[in-house]
Amino acid sequence: MALPLSYNWRNLFVRKLSTALTFTVVAVVVLVLAVLLSFAAGIRASLARTGSPGNVLVIKPGATSESTSFLLPEEVARLLQTPGLARGKDGRMLLSQEMYVQTSIPRRHNGGNMANVAVRGVDDTAFDVHEDVRILEGRRFRQGTLEIIVGRAARERYQNLRIGSEVGMGRLGDRKFRVVGVFEAGGGALESEIWAPRTILSDSYHRRFASSAALRLSGPEWVPAAVSYINGPTVQLEARRETDYYRELAAKTREIVVLTTILIAIMGVGAVFAVANTMYAAVDGRRREIAMLRTIGFNRRSIMLAFVIESLLVTTLACACGLAASLLVSGSRQDYLSDVTWTVLAYELRVTPGIAAAALAVSTLVGICGALAPAVRASRTRVIEALRKA
Amino acid sequence: MLYLMYLYRNLVRNRLRTALTCAAVGLPITIYVLSMAVVDGVNRFLDNSARQLRLAVTHKTSIVNPLPAGHRAKIESLDRTGRRLVSVCGLRWIGGKIERDPRPLSTIAADKDTFHTTFPEFRLTPEEIAAWHRDRQAIVVGSATAAQFGWKVGDRITIHPSVPPFVPFEFHIISTAPNAEDPISNWFRMDYLEEKLREVRAPEGLVSFFFVKCASSEDLNHFRTAIDDLFAHSTDETKTQDEKSFMNEFITQQFDLPRNLTILAAVTVFVAVMAATNTMSMSFRDRINEVAILRSMGFGRWLVFGQIQAESMLLCLVGGLLGALGPYVAFTYTPLKDFTVPLIQYLEVRPAVCVNAVMISAAIGVLAALWPSFLAWRLRVVTALRNLE
Repeated sequence: MALPLSYNWRNLFVRKLSTALTFTVVAVVVLVLAVLLSFAAGIRASLARTGSPGNVLVIKPGATSESTSFLLPEEVARLLQTPGLARGKDGRMLLSQEMYVQTSIPRRHNGGNMANVAVRGVDDTAFDVHEDVRILEGRRFRQGTLEIIVGRAARERYQNLRIGSEVGMGRLGDRKFRVVGVFEAGGGALESEIWAPRTILSDSYHRRFASSAALRLSGPEWVPAAVSYINGPTVQLEARRETDYYRELAAKTREIVVLTTILIAIMGVGAVFAVANTMYAAVDGRRREIAMLRTIGFNRRSIMLAFVIESLLVTTLACACGLAASLLVSGSRQDYLSDVTWTVLAYELRVTPGIAAAALAVSTLVGICGALAPAVRASRTRVIEALRKA
Repeated sequence: MLYLMYLYRNLVRNRLRTALTCAAVGLPITIYVLSMAVVDGVNRFLDNSARQLRLAVTHKTSIVNPLPAGHRAKIESLDRTGRRLVSVCGLRWIGGKIERDPRPLSTIAADKDTFHTTFPEFRLTPEEIAAWHRDRQAIVVGSATAAQFGWKVGDRITIHPSVPPFVPFEFHIISTAPNAEDPISNWFRMDYLEEKLREVRAPEGLVSFFFVKCASSEDLNHFRTAIDDLFAHSTDETKTQDEKSFMNEFITQQFDLPRNLTILAAVTVFVAVMAATNTMSMSFRDRINEVAILRSMGFGRWLVFGQIQAESMLLCLVGGLLGALGPYVAFTYTPLKDFTVPLIQYLEVRPAVCVNAVMISAAIGVLAALWPSFLAWRLRVVTALRNLE
């Protein structure tokens, strides 16, 4: 027979200070866990939503990313023979040559320090190739003009990117581009970018060559054939499924996860001690009570269970509180400088169900580990001796 | 002696708890030592940069924009005597990898004629300098990189760059620069890079940044503004800063390692305090009767106070010592000593950091025992004895 839950609940308030301290410790551990992992989850979510499975991204072999790559015109010409290359409604081949450059723009927060924002020069085909790119406000730029459109995340994160404002870009930073539209890209990494007409960008940055090419295929089933054609002897470039390229950029987040695991493991040991201390205090203070319970028929097992449940009550509540606190930062926008592309990626911190589950697992583990030893001691209370002192 | 025996007995009474407390203090101390070793390494790297009296000249709009190589002659013209401005060296980063090996390299092209005067701390021998001038494929590899890849002087290596021109470069190793503060980067001749760029029709005559070696710190301050003034309102304006701020910008832009690691170290120490406090109060609660008996037998309150403090401090010191010794031994005597960290290269766990950590663990011991020892100090013997079981 188990003890009623209200017994455990009320017991928590007997030693308010000790309970509160344990509660705080566990809540802090959960908060740290959730916030750290939300960084990784946010970056991953943003990169996972970038690209389309039917698209192929082509860069120069050896280049670490689009930012260090360049394609010669004859190499691009060879790409036109790619098997499965789709045609747009207007009959154009869906091959988008893109020029990837960077510009420094102050952040809106963090004291306005400068961020290296990616600027992508594209032709009109790009909007058919990257079909998830949609204009939210304003309109597209016109080719041949000093007009740009900005991603939704970039507009929120960096200064002076509203429609109508002017941004100094180009190699000398002296070309004034006017923002004419804001676009979204399904929440993906492209939303951190600025898009401009490629020919104008090429002129402003004194760069003749495209950095990369994005190809839209008739369907995802064409990807293997297209990749082997492009990587093969005829073209000798490096093609990857667009979604794979962006997934690889997320590799860095693994380090955050590893670091978090180590940190939480150590903090977890501290939390176990806190729980154990509280529970020992509870057991010691309740010797006679326990003996009493034993006399009226509760067995050892239910006594043990009662203490474990009591500790779990504290840790689970603390976990809920820690998670609730972490929700305050969830959804806020951060950016990080990728060491592969050397441009910033704006992303939203995300406390996902997976993170909540991990937090719950950690707090449950801490609760059980911390309560086990005290609970065993409680169950071994010698009834007669304890009662004699009453 | 008797007191020491009592201390020892108390510690071995509950071996599991003692071991767990040691671990709970030792593990965070290990993390502390490792993070501080990295911070320490970054600081030493920056201090070395500051000592070199060098300026870094980059493009004003963004560090990723290259500068025309012709800027060098203009900078040099600021001091034709060469007494204040020692030398100017154009640098271009090509990164790179070797065939079938994912480990990234840091390979940098440097102007042939001014490389050894701008980086005198490399202390290349006259023979090495002669080899550098004689052979256009010469490369000076970092000592750590050489050890990592098993390279030695005289070897021929092929590096595939991560930036244009994307064609393999064949190099002849002329030195492993044992004296260079940066044991990672490899340095080769700019004219060889230009030759390769010409082959693929990629833009030539560009450098990522210039390093300017000055004669004194006054000259350093003078040229910091003089160079930017020289190029003001030109088509390629510059941003000049001393080498330390230049390097620091790199570090903070990425993950801001020093700041984040310091936070990490502080959090782990906080956790260690928490864990130790809890064990100390647990073991005190177990022994409250003993304390009462001791006191009633005539042992003074300060003695009891001291005993609890000594026990806690000893426990934390042992934990801290083990925690600090672990990484020290691992990174000084085992193969881990060749482990390289980006930017600061070797993770050198210096004794100073370890001593620091041990002192912190002693402080943790004092803090942890504060409350229980105070309770013991003010314990009312009569009340405690009345509750004796």
